[in-house]
Amino acid sequence: MNESLADTVKVGPVAARYAFALYQLAKEKGELEAVTRDVAQLALLLDSEAQSAWIFDARVPAREKRERIERLALTLAPITANFLRLVADKRRLELLRELPAAFKRCALRGRNAVEGRVESARPMAPGELAELCVSLGQVLGKEVTLRLQVEPSLLAGARIYVDNRMLDVSAQGRLEGLRTHLNSARLR
Amino acid sequence: MELRPGEVTSVLKKEIETYKGETSLQSVGTVLSVGDGVARVYGLDDCMMNELLEFPGGVRGVALNLEEDNVGCVLLGSATKVKEGDVVKTTGRIISVPTGPSLLGRVVNALGDPIDGKGPLAVSQSDYMPIERPAPNVVEREPVKEPLQTGIKAIDAMIPIGRGQRELIIGDRQTGKTALLIDTILNQKTTGGGDPKNPAQVICVYVAMGQKQSTVVDLVRRLELGGALSYSIVVCASANDEASMQYLAAYAGVTMAERFRDEGRHVVIMYDDLYKQALAYRQVMLLLRRPPGREAFPGDVFNLHSRLLERAAKLSREAHKINPKAYKAGGGSITALPVVETQEGDVSAYIPTNVISITDGQIFLESSLFNSGVRPGVNVGISVSRVGGSAQIPGMKKIAGGLRINLAQYRELQAFAQFGSDLDKATQASLTRGEKLVEILKQGQYQPVPVEEQIMIIHAGTSGALDDFPTKRIPEFETAFLALMRESHAAVGKEILETKQVSDKSKSVIDAAIKSVKKQLVG
Repeated sequence: MNESLADTVKVGPVAARYAFALYQLAKEKGELEAVTRDVAQLALLLDSEAQSAWIFDARVPAREKRERIERLALTLAPITANFLRLVADKRRLELLRELPAAFKRCALRGRNAVEGRVESARPMAPGELAELCVSLGQVLGKEVTLRLQVEPSLLAGARIYVDNRMLDVSAQGRLEGLRTHLNSARLR
Repeated sequence: MELRPGEVTSVLKKEIETYKGETSLQSVGTVLSVGDGVARVYGLDDCMMNELLEFPGGVRGVALNLEEDNVGCVLLGSATKVKEGDVVKTTGRIISVPTGPSLLGRVVNALGDPIDGKGPLAVSQSDYMPIERPAPNVVEREPVKEPLQTGIKAIDAMIPIGRGQRELIIGDRQTGKTALLIDTILNQKTTGGGDPKNPAQVICVYVAMGQKQSTVVDLVRRLELGGALSYSIVVCASANDEASMQYLAAYAGVTMAERFRDEGRHVVIMYDDLYKQALAYRQVMLLLRRPPGREAFPGDVFNLHSRLLERAAKLSREAHKINPKAYKAGGGSITALPVVETQEGDVSAYIPTNVISITDGQIFLESSLFNSGVRPGVNVGISVSRVGGSAQIPGMKKIAGGLRINLAQYRELQAFAQFGSDLDKATQASLTRGEKLVEILKQGQYQPVPVEEQIMIIHAGTSGALDDFPTKRIPEFETAFLALMRESHAAVGKEILETKQVSDKSKSVIDAAIKSVKKQLVG
């Protein structure tokens, strides 16, 4: 998969609604920590094809899925367990794929934080990265966490992707900008 | 335009020196799916409606559907380089095209990029204007009152078009719709001598949508031969271009026309044709999954045409005082001549009825007339011009009144024509008169007739002077008569043009000339 797509996992409107409901309820009941742990556990389960195949397999009857969900629910907090039951009853198990990403997004928004990625032409020192996070956070008014990725094709500088926005301060981007600028220059 | 190396280098030096690499937070998204000229993009949080988007590889797109979790957009260029996962950037610009005098004499595509191989356009950033703009409002307008001469006798005499009017040209394929447009462009040379800098020169914009490229090439060559390209702009989105380009071309064309209108100039814009534009629009909208309505056209197909044609207007002389920001000078106009192709003469189909109801009149071209040798095949019985009458010059109005009545009587009696000598004298006289008039209204392709000559030859018919003249020899008479008027009585034509009237003295000169030419031809 393309790197940039992996970074912005698509969350459909349905999954976003379910995840937000789960997040809000957990927060209201003061069980955010437990639910967050549960979602992380679910994410692990979903990551292994062998253990999670039955959830998305159309050949597995709904009743069997429900039973297995009940067994799974034993290990989870009551809110998460109910959430899984509801999803199974509504026949929306498909959206569990997007749940970890959607829940994480809700959690980040709840903390007024964003995660992003910085492409840099050369490796950055940890201090530099932290400084970048702070100054970017001041601009956006949010707590910013950045993941570093070295991209030599930028020639120099960096390119920051955060929250569906891009800040381009790379030599490559500048040259690209100069090219469009020259293409639209007046010729007489 | 020649590119001189020194010039370009100096431009580059200046541009590089003053180049400010602006770093701002840009909205980005990722391509989810792409195909059939449309793409769905995830992200693009603060994308605007109709915003220009940038895809990798220099491909551009327009955002048309802003949905909850994605943006649906059309690609303006080859989609082969765009793939899933590509980064899409917003530009902060609504889709816009270059405008201004440097476009005159050029052939451009729907984005205003030249496609005639004559080099780049000399335009600057400030010449770019968004293609979707509001039409002039009520106080900025004025009723239509100046004539737009097409040079076609049947139209100028009986279906007069005024500057600022929207007159539909409707007919089946192969009935001479495009030929009529070419003649109209050629005839505009009489307004300002073909010099685009002359403020009296009417500027012509021809928008080809879904046309064959060979047709467009032929048209451009015709205009070049007739010396008409210098005051014309051809916007071409031919049948092989993306559907998005085909439907946007109309808006691009009218935006280029508006620049001249707002500077106080007169423009005539031709959309050839709006039926194909609606088809292209339908294709794009269905791919974007907008709900289909009648004949699978989207619900806003009426608005597609009405907001386009509403931008044709006659501006008030005071327009620049009312709204100095929008207008540099008042009194300008855009005359729109949209074309709609019908299938098997069916004018009650969806798109034709829509456009008929929007426009200020229509010119029906009939294949039966065309094939029986009446060319242009204008059916004057059902063609109308709702506002053009007040724009006709008085001299023509007087003469055309008689023409209309004579032709109406002729059409009514035509069914009895086969009874021949059994008819009474009055009926026979009406039939002969009608026959002569129909012959007079015939006209060769690419031969527009100036208005003063139209008045003279129509006078020859309506005065009855040709009733005893053989019908078959009328073209011959017309040529000889008009040649005589041009050579020996040039003052008459000049007087008609200046006073816009035919004085009694001129009338007697014309009558004498008719007599002498008749004598010369029949002996």
